[in-house]
Amino acid sequence: MNSEIDADWAWAPFNPAPDRPWDRRLAAHLFRRAGFGATWEQLTEAVSSSPSEVVDRLLNVAEPPDYRKQTAALTDAAVAVGNVQQLSAWWCHRMLTTPAQLLEKTTLFWHGHFATSAAKVPEIRLMLAQNELLRRFAFGDFGQLLLEVSRDPAMLMFLDSATNRKAHPNENYAREIMELFCLGEGNYTENDIRELARSFTGWEIRRDKFRFNSFQHDSGTKTILGQTGEFGGEDGVRIVLQQQSAPEFLIGRLIRFFVFDEPVPSKALVAPLAAELRDSGMQIRPVLKRILSSNLFYSEHAVGRKVRSPVELAIGFLRCLEGSTNSFELSEQMNVLGQGLFFPPSVKGWDGGRTWINSSTLLGRSNLIRHLLEHDKTRFGRKSLAEYLNGAQLTSAESIINRLQTLLFAVPVPMAAREQIADLIDGPGDRNRSLAEGLHALCTLPEFQLC
Amino acid sequence: MTNTSRRRFLGGMAGGAAILTFGTQAPGFLQAAVHSGRSDSGRSEKILVVIELGGGNDGLNTIVPFTDDDYRKHRPKLALAANEVLKISDSHGFHPSLKGFAELLQNHQLSIVQGVGYDNPNRSHFESMDIWHTCQRKEENRSDGWLGRSLEQRGTSAGPDPAGLHLGGEKQPFALMSHRVRVPSIRSVEQFRLNGTDSQRFRDAVKELADARRSPDNDLLSFVQSSTSSAISASERIEAAGKSYKAAVPYPETDTGAKLETVAKLISSGLGTSVYYLQLDGFDTHSQQPDAHAGLLRQLGDALSAFVKDLTAQGHSDRVLTMCFSEFGRRVAENASEGTDHGTAGPVFLAGSQVKPGLIGKHPSLSDLTDGDLRHHTDFRQVYATVLEQWMGCDSQPILKGTYNPVEALALKN
Repeated sequence: MNSEIDADWAWAPFNPAPDRPWDRRLAAHLFRRAGFGATWEQLTEAVSSSPSEVVDRLLNVAEPPDYRKQTAALTDAAVAVGNVQQLSAWWCHRMLTTPAQLLEKTTLFWHGHFATSAAKVPEIRLMLAQNELLRRFAFGDFGQLLLEVSRDPAMLMFLDSATNRKAHPNENYAREIMELFCLGEGNYTENDIRELARSFTGWEIRRDKFRFNSFQHDSGTKTILGQTGEFGGEDGVRIVLQQQSAPEFLIGRLIRFFVFDEPVPSKALVAPLAAELRDSGMQIRPVLKRILSSNLFYSEHAVGRKVRSPVELAIGFLRCLEGSTNSFELSEQMNVLGQGLFFPPSVKGWDGGRTWINSSTLLGRSNLIRHLLEHDKTRFGRKSLAEYLNGAQLTSAESIINRLQTLLFAVPVPMAAREQIADLIDGPGDRNRSLAEGLHALCTLPEFQLC
Repeated sequence: MTNTSRRRFLGGMAGGAAILTFGTQAPGFLQAAVHSGRSDSGRSEKILVVIELGGGNDGLNTIVPFTDDDYRKHRPKLALAANEVLKISDSHGFHPSLKGFAELLQNHQLSIVQGVGYDNPNRSHFESMDIWHTCQRKEENRSDGWLGRSLEQRGTSAGPDPAGLHLGGEKQPFALMSHRVRVPSIRSVEQFRLNGTDSQRFRDAVKELADARRSPDNDLLSFVQSSTSSAISASERIEAAGKSYKAAVPYPETDTGAKLETVAKLISSGLGTSVYYLQLDGFDTHSQQPDAHAGLLRQLGDALSAFVKDLTAQGHSDRVLTMCFSEFGRRVAENASEGTDHGTAGPVFLAGSQVKPGLIGKHPSLSDLTDGDLRHHTDFRQVYATVLEQWMGCDSQPILKGTYNPVEALALKN
């Protein structure tokens, strides 16, 4: 399909038009992708500004000092207990509550990109330090982020580079930095891997900190991706980053995360953004701004063309309705659905797209919504669901479905479904129970799996 | 919605697969499942269980050439000694943790195909795994897997049951993907149900809405819709099927043990499913290999041995074949972290009562290496061809996208 997309049109700024107005529907799309979702009030506020202004706000909103203090206290507690589930719950809570949604979403992107699993890194302090690193550089200089990650203790432990000796270089990190972090398969040779691994010898972890051990470094001449010299690890990272495929690879990943799952973006579509990324010295912020303000992003090529990840599904459902719940249970349930925070399934991260979906996860996604709706810790704006909707003057089934359609659905709810779900909402007996049944049915619709 | 549009949709699909995918139409099929008039016809069907050893199993420390000097030379720390291994022959033995495999071999229920790989081996986990799953290289625009293609070729044999099942919480294996047949993934029979369906109104609404056809403009939506529909019907079938079974032997309390017990339960209950797929991950032993590898092999061997015993006791062993493979072996020389890096050829295991027991083919030479890696002598597609042609009764050529000579690893009784 996207061979037909004209790249100049695609990345030009989106200007609302009568057939594509900047309304709550499109604003909700922006918030679902550049965050987790928006409340009705946030949408109302967004449509009184231009799309570009809203993207700027998303890129620049800062967490208030009190919020940072509160979230730091939670991580301190998790580290003190040494419980990685608690750290997972903390991140889940952060995604639910932070005012800086895009920063958090981009941090999640990097977690999937530089996937490191606590299953192999038991020191949760190191997992937390990596998470903070990813957040600190989320919108920044990719080259610097890559170098920091290459020396990050959690990463080195995860990819067995914590002891990387001259006599027996460990090839794991050298392979993954090219295959998964920077260039993509096919853009290097097995020999490049062996030579790059030699440049990383002597990089090790001592007392949970990175250290260069010159006695274990192979200082001989190496040839990496066509360049020859007595390279060290920093040179290795720099050479990898200099490859033409590096910005192209990264843009491909960003498009897939923020714009659409399918198809694989064409070279022509990637090229203008890859050039911009390279020319800016691999700065992420400007390229993100361009993607999120583009014609393509607000077009039918993008809206409803991603499968919700478990995080997008659960956090999105709650955030749109000002929801809060038990973050421990929620993070465990997202784990069961295939997206354990701090537990990506492999160094390749989450494949996303259709791979989120199978019979088990579909039943599990539906059951998760049911569980949230029935859980006594789940509140909507600190109220029960019935009180919350009443407070928003939403009493008829039709008004409730309309509201939920705007907040939660990128793809329209079919007419037949609206009628059946209205019957469930207007069902006999307890109001909260009927509402829960109606919402559960709504969120079991195939349409709800897309965003 | 539309019964007409639904019918139109089904009409547009290859008949059998459509019914399978949308298998909610047959009235009263739940009773049929419980009383299982079908299980007799199902019983004659051969079943394949595939166990994927993820991460790259070290074949050299699995089937150990304990008399080979080159082995000890390349593996100063990791080599297993003659008095540790479980002997298969005068020169080869199992890793000491593979008591389960040794027992299977003793009962003539294990075949070990040695030196399996492919030309121009790729050492990326993901790429090599995809090659094993699809029988295609990356540049060939892969969209389905060998097992998925075999299920399409076999058509309606599973009746209303899912043609294949993936056990586990991982993403669905590429091998099972196909254009027309949706293969469910289940974590456990207990978790594989939709909550809230005790309310008749809710159940009816959800089923009807999931079955209704969507506009074809959005491929992803069509995919999610057909997946939702098949998930709901498969959950009803499996819930009904699993009720009457009791294991004949205790299974080890491991992930693989639990999964194989679930497979035995579903087979014994007369489910018409013909391919089961499960994964055991963790074989990427770059460092501190000995304990990790031993634990994984023990888990595999003990669980598979219990599974075959259970099936034998339940009277199903003649129709169930299990195959274990890994995306590559590991480098011959160990590294500095008491581990091994990504390599090439390795053994594939076939278990069941209709295998030709023992070692098949030669152990790859340790003196004739390519870039420090073993050279394969059997293409993995030859093993697939064996299974497809001789076990599943398929025409392997279109599935494997080429002609491959089967290996002599099966000894069929009927």
